[in-house]
Amino acid sequence: MAESEISSQAEPGWAIEIEKLNKTFAIPFRRERLHAVRDLTLQVGKGQVYGLLGPNGSGKSTAMKVILGLLKPDTGRTAIFGQDSSKVESREQVGFLPENPYFYRFLTGLETLNFYGKLCSIKGKALTDRCWELLKLVDLEGAAHRRLGGYSKGMLQRIGLAQALIQHPRLLVLDEPTAGVDPAGARDIKDLIMRLKEEGITILLCSHLLAQVQEICDRIGILHRGELVREGRLEDLIGIENQTELILEGASPEVLKELRAFLEARGVRALRESKPQTTLENYFLEVTGEEGQS
Amino acid sequence: MHRGLAAALALLLVAGVVKIPMESALDRDQQEAGFRTAELDFDMRERLTQMTFLAALSGLRALVADMFWLKVFTRFENADWGRMPYLLDTVTSLQPRSELFWDLAHWHMAYNASSWAYHDSDLPSEALRRKAQEEYWELGRGLLERGIKNNPDSRMLWERLGGLLADKFEDHCAAAEAWGQAASQPDASPYAKRFAAYELARCPGREEEAYQRLMALYQMGERERKPTLLRLLQEMEVELDIPMEQRIYKDSSNSQE
Amino acid sequence: MSEAPRTEALPHAFFSWNRLWAIATNTLTELVRLRVFYFLLIFALLLIVGSLFWSKVTFQQQLQTLKDISLGAMTIFSTLLAMLATSMMLPKDMEDRTLYTILAKPVPRFEYLMGKLTGILLLLGLAILAMSLVFGVTLGVRYFQVAQQLQGELGGATSELMQPSVEALRAEVFDPDLLIAIGLLYLKAAIFAAITLFLSTISSSWIFTVMMAAIVYLIGHFQGEAREYLMLTSDGSWLTQGFLGVVVILFPDLQLFNLVDDIVVGAGLPLSLAWKTIALGVFYFFIYTAASYLAFSSKEY
Repeated sequence: MAESEISSQAEPGWAIEIEKLNKTFAIPFRRERLHAVRDLTLQVGKGQVYGLLGPNGSGKSTAMKVILGLLKPDTGRTAIFGQDSSKVESREQVGFLPENPYFYRFLTGLETLNFYGKLCSIKGKALTDRCWELLKLVDLEGAAHRRLGGYSKGMLQRIGLAQALIQHPRLLVLDEPTAGVDPAGARDIKDLIMRLKEEGITILLCSHLLAQVQEICDRIGILHRGELVREGRLEDLIGIENQTELILEGASPEVLKELRAFLEARGVRALRESKPQTTLENYFLEVTGEEGQS
Repeated sequence: MHRGLAAALALLLVAGVVKIPMESALDRDQQEAGFRTAELDFDMRERLTQMTFLAALSGLRALVADMFWLKVFTRFENADWGRMPYLLDTVTSLQPRSELFWDLAHWHMAYNASSWAYHDSDLPSEALRRKAQEEYWELGRGLLERGIKNNPDSRMLWERLGGLLADKFEDHCAAAEAWGQAASQPDASPYAKRFAAYELARCPGREEEAYQRLMALYQMGERERKPTLLRLLQEMEVELDIPMEQRIYKDSSNSQE
Repeated sequence: MSEAPRTEALPHAFFSWNRLWAIATNTLTELVRLRVFYFLLIFALLLIVGSLFWSKVTFQQQLQTLKDISLGAMTIFSTLLAMLATSMMLPKDMEDRTLYTILAKPVPRFEYLMGKLTGILLLLGLAILAMSLVFGVTLGVRYFQVAQQLQGELGGATSELMQPSVEALRAEVFDPDLLIAIGLLYLKAAIFAAITLFLSTISSSWIFTVMMAAIVYLIGHFQGEAREYLMLTSDGSWLTQGFLGVVVILFPDLQLFNLVDDIVVGAGLPLSLAWKTIALGVFYFFIYTAASYLAFSSKEY
């Protein structure tokens, strides 16, 4: 997707701004400190889906927590829609889904959303309507009155997503939203994220499942040992410069022969010729979907 | 240590210094009002196990006293008087504001134990049994006096002391004082003043005073004109040679004017 | 979804009773659904079995013991509830990551903490109220039984002789100071909850919090002795004096709230003294709560 196309979709201004962020932690019984994030500077445009990637211990969670005000930076600043993110009021516009959340197991799905809605100062009929709307969105209407202790992993992730959306946030921060979820559940969550993106919600996504990140993110940043080592549009980063992929339908062997000759005559090397494959995920979903129906 | 924790500790230190005079003042006020006067000291520690001492210290003093009282009751049922004074001392030390404990404790010593000592003990001679009996009376008296020291406004304990002094010690003068104290309490029994006058009437050298009191009670009407009062009045009129016109009983036929 | 996201931020209220109350009721719901109130069955059983056990002693002693057992059990249960329920709150939220989801909402940290503490206070209040009702009903039933027994025993006596006994029985049972005693019990539990909350903000596990709270509870009952010693004598090494000074400054004097033992045997509590005791209790409560907030406000999760 060209930069101009992204710009036309995203609103002007930044959803998230991080400027020279440094964060260290004390190590017990040692004088030196652990440098979790070093001089991090990045911006996330409004309406974008931004993937923040990195191995374990790279500083992703730390950066995310600073954005959410759970940690204070040593130096640098972070802002959400222009507001200092350490201020409580900046979180009126943010929804957060942590990694492997459990929520309150003694509450039902409806009670959970009710609780988080009240924390965002929503009340009365507006809150009730919003709760049912979200339960429908995440396909948990049938489990609304069941306690979260009886929810599966996928259901917990979905209710987590619902609570993150309770106050119509402009920014969603999702930490490993599909971790531990089966392929069908993960596909549902992915589809939901795409829908939210279409509605203009900015999404900051942290995930180890790179295949999924590749499908949904507009931009990514890669952290390694606390530093931002790569950042930019996805297709710019992973596109192989001097190679082009061409997928043909209905090409006969004669047409292919002619094409090969044409390219060779112009000094273009055909590196690989093969049948495109569907993904294992799609195949799995196709099969289990059929089994479900039969 | 992060900033917040340092601030919290600083707050606790400052508030801690500020609270010391407040605590001392409240402690003093409570003790003056007669609260928390139980001595939970080393002597008490030796009487209790570690856990019961901690329980007593932590606001369960009443329960610990009740547990000890159960032991008292068991020994009473078995007429096992040997350790009884020690147990009674422990219970009353744990609950010095409990009139009930002082009352029952004195009753066990001055009445139950003393009766057993005289009638049922193995002591070989009458004199020794008498001596043991009197020792238990003294223990009972001591308990009541300590009870009164801890509860000076207790009508019941003053009454019990008056009764004990009259019944066992036959010290009617002291008994009159005790009944007088009982009568002066706000919740005094209706008969306390009468009993004080009765005892005074039997106190050598205070007959005149006794007569005045008995007469004052007589003047209060039918409610106070009990048979004992009337009998004592009649006796004292003769004993004190009260002029005839002032007497209630004018002749020897016991009829009142 | 039915509507697009807001384009402007909601006006943020610096303090919201609704948010605080949402957290408080959520905390109470959690503890209630943990079936914590089942301990009330044990409490009721204690009273019934206890009174059977004491049936041989005099009726005055039976009534006294009923009051002692009830208030003693209320002391124990409220202390345990305050300590265990409070010590679990923060570590559990952290472990389950619900703390992140709450603090990621526009909830100031002090509201979160106050909401949790309010939930605990609600729990303690309900528990003590329930125990008081059970106690009151048991005492009332026993009163009528004893009154009838007394009538039978003193049936032939004059009203003048019966009157003090009947009045004494009534005064023992219908003693308004018992309500003050129960109120002080609640106050002591609330103070202990605030102390435990502070310990949980600086502790790394709930077991450690429970242990520290138990130690504070014990030392708090000796603080008065340490204070008296320190103020009356200058004997002892600087180490002893220093140690005692730390105890006196940092720990509350919990003995000052142990008036129940005397109230229950009929010692009338002057109203002015009750107010002074309550005032000090409220002071303790606010200091430890404020310290909890300061420790929690800059803690990193």
